[in-house]
Amino acid sequence: MNSLAVAAATKPMLELKGVTKCFGGITACKDITFDLQPGQIMGLIGPNGAGKTTAFNLITGVYGLTSGAVIFNDQLITGKRPDQIVRMGIARTFQNIRLFKNLSVLDNVCIALDCHETYFLGAAFLRLPGVRQREKAIRENAMEYLAAVGLEAKAEVRADAMPYGLQRKLEIARALALKPKLLLLDEPAAGMNPEESLDLAELIRSLHQRFQLTTLLIEHHMDVVMSLCEKIYVMNFGVRLAEGTADEIQSDPEVLRAYLGEGYKRAEHP
Amino acid sequence: MGQYLSGILSLGLIYVIATVGLAIFTGFTGLFSLGHAAFFAIGAYTAAILTYFYGVNFYLALAAAGLASGLVGFLIGYPTLKAKLRTDYFAIATLGFGEAIRVLLENLSITQGARGLPGIANHTSLPVLLVVTALVIWVAWNFTHSRHGRAAIAIREDFVAAEMMGVNIFIGRLRSLVFSAACGGLAGGLFAHYFCFIQPSMFTSYMSTQLTAAVVAGGMGSISGPVMAALIFIGVPEVLRIANIWRLVAYGLLLVLIMIFRPQGLMGYREFSIAMLKDTFGRFRKGGRA
Amino acid sequence: MFIQTLLTGLAIGGIYALMAVGYSLVFSILNFSNFAYGSIIMLGAYIGYWAMVKLGMPVGLSIIVSILGAATLCYLNERLAYSPLRKRRASSLFFMISAMGTSIFLENLVYATIGARFYTFPTLFAKANLEFGGISIGVLDVFAIAFSAVAIYGLNFFLQKSRTGIAIRAASYDIDVCMLNGVNITALIGLVFGFAGALAGISGMFLGMKYIVYPTMGWITAKAYIAAVIGGLGSLPGAVVGGVLLGVLETFVSAYVSSVVRDVFSFSLLVLLLMVMPTGLFGRFLEEKV
Repeated sequence: MNSLAVAAATKPMLELKGVTKCFGGITACKDITFDLQPGQIMGLIGPNGAGKTTAFNLITGVYGLTSGAVIFNDQLITGKRPDQIVRMGIARTFQNIRLFKNLSVLDNVCIALDCHETYFLGAAFLRLPGVRQREKAIRENAMEYLAAVGLEAKAEVRADAMPYGLQRKLEIARALALKPKLLLLDEPAAGMNPEESLDLAELIRSLHQRFQLTTLLIEHHMDVVMSLCEKIYVMNFGVRLAEGTADEIQSDPEVLRAYLGEGYKRAEHP
Repeated sequence: MGQYLSGILSLGLIYVIATVGLAIFTGFTGLFSLGHAAFFAIGAYTAAILTYFYGVNFYLALAAAGLASGLVGFLIGYPTLKAKLRTDYFAIATLGFGEAIRVLLENLSITQGARGLPGIANHTSLPVLLVVTALVIWVAWNFTHSRHGRAAIAIREDFVAAEMMGVNIFIGRLRSLVFSAACGGLAGGLFAHYFCFIQPSMFTSYMSTQLTAAVVAGGMGSISGPVMAALIFIGVPEVLRIANIWRLVAYGLLLVLIMIFRPQGLMGYREFSIAMLKDTFGRFRKGGRA
Repeated sequence: MFIQTLLTGLAIGGIYALMAVGYSLVFSILNFSNFAYGSIIMLGAYIGYWAMVKLGMPVGLSIIVSILGAATLCYLNERLAYSPLRKRRASSLFFMISAMGTSIFLENLVYATIGARFYTFPTLFAKANLEFGGISIGVLDVFAIAFSAVAIYGLNFFLQKSRTGIAIRAASYDIDVCMLNGVNITALIGLVFGFAGALAGISGMFLGMKYIVYPTMGWITAKAYIAAVIGGLGSLPGAVVGGVLLGVLETFVSAYVSSVVRDVFSFSLLVLLLMVMPTGLFGRFLEEKV
């Protein structure tokens, strides 16, 4: 049985149904519909302004939907608060990095881990032994996530004192520390040269497997997209332009015309 | 210890308690208030009325003062924070609440209006203050080193990202507001039983300014910084006999200069520690080379 | 009684409208509530008083001196206290602290140097009334309404018709794009603050003439903030409507209910609006880009 049939048999982790968002007179997203199966890596591509980040913002609850629905693991998440959605298992990174600049690298990850902690305020005020234990565990756990992306040596460095590439890695470590089932990556390779972006693609692939994630990826580096993504959804001017496998997208004339360019060279598949 | 020095220290410690509260609110959570003196006033009046008119035990009255202010903080915070007011409009709303409190205090019969309440018992002694201040600092320190403290910092740094990290912005801000209100109330109760006379005109923007200046100068994101700044702001002008008016001129100028030249204040985002002290001494001895 | 209250309300509403427009000009472009605006208004009043009483200038000239003085001060305020922060892209909290610091510095400087006593303008026509049909309205109030209308109309004309005016309006939508299109943003911002200062000068003069001149008269800008919310943040016509509406509503509350609750009413209105209808009457839809 080929993988597509297997995919059809299981329930999707994320479903977007007719998702539409209007800002005053501008329609940023119109009727976006797709499914994401557990364990898949899907790419969301398209020219700038196509509505990709808006789609992320709609999924994560930053913007409210004008119409349509977002369903995660069979639960309707439309209208929930961002922090509620995070707790349900969706994490994201930002296009322009949004680290907590004045905090250390370690603290940035600790804040993400805090999301699943439950000790009470009163206990915190008195620093009861239970709290002390949890705090120690949080720090150790945070170091593990830093090690997963290779940043453990920089734990006490201020987040904004790090070079750009490492900041991007911290963004990812932070998102992983939220222990998500679904990871949304918004242009993780932005500003990287071809070598760095291939390294990043490798990192994303290994993290995807290690943490058993489902990943939705916005990216402009086509080599990263084509090497990682089993499925791709192409957007243009807020609407669906095409969807399919990497091969199908690379040969779709509409996509070539609108985004990839007529002279686009097909990526080699490993 | 001399009477005079003991007096300055007492007043300083009272301000430290209120400042620690404001440090959590502004320094750590990034909210700005134009009317924090109102919580001080509520605490002062609550404690004073309880001991003066109802003969309540001093320590119970103090607890009541903190609780009352905390409760008012909750009542004020719930609608304004739920509405996700921008920082500046939240500040204006606090101005309005401060105004409402003032009107209330000047018009209720039990507070004796603008004339004030004289003859309050002098329960606030230096040992009491030292213990209470140490407790408040300890509790605040624990808060900042817990997940709740980190959430507050995340809210201050970037509330959009904080939400993406699972932080409930509304609850986080409300928590800080109630804590800082309670600290202000506690300080107010102690003040009432130190000065032994209170009237509404004592709790003005002068006080709010002094507290904010201490937090900003001490460093947003630090507890020890504002504590030191509060003591300096009370102690130095007192010893140098600088008139109240000129102190305010200096505070105003100081706030602007700090914002422009050293926005992280004295301590920055760190706490004072022995290691820091050794480090600074070491650098002095080496003639300024790091 | 009704018409009388209405007219009185319109008179104060006119002044509120002036202040609200000045405030909204800066707000719409920099997305920043200038908490120091009140002290500029106060200084405008003092400058006008000094011109009229100490230098013996006629009313018209005094107003012009006040306008020029306030415009200069407002411009300097921006240059010294805000533009360094803008260059650093500091967060709004820092701007607020700087603004608060400026306002405290200026108010208390006046207290410390000139003193706390209040000044009244010579009673040329300040007390003269026009009587008709059993209603009286101060000549000063008529002048205030007329002057406000002229100033606002003139500003509107400038914003609609002149190149600089169009640049200002463009900046209120997206200041970065404006800069990319070759507009000298620094000069533009300076100009806007200058205009705001001019409006502050007029407001200060009329407030001073209608009431009294004293160091903390600037707190009345709180009404400007409320007026801006009623009219809709970011909208200049909204600021005018909001100002007049607030003036009228407030006066009715003061006349028919009680003058003590007048300010509490206004602040409550503010909080209610921000919770229920934050875009006000004509406000623009402002959502943050993530």
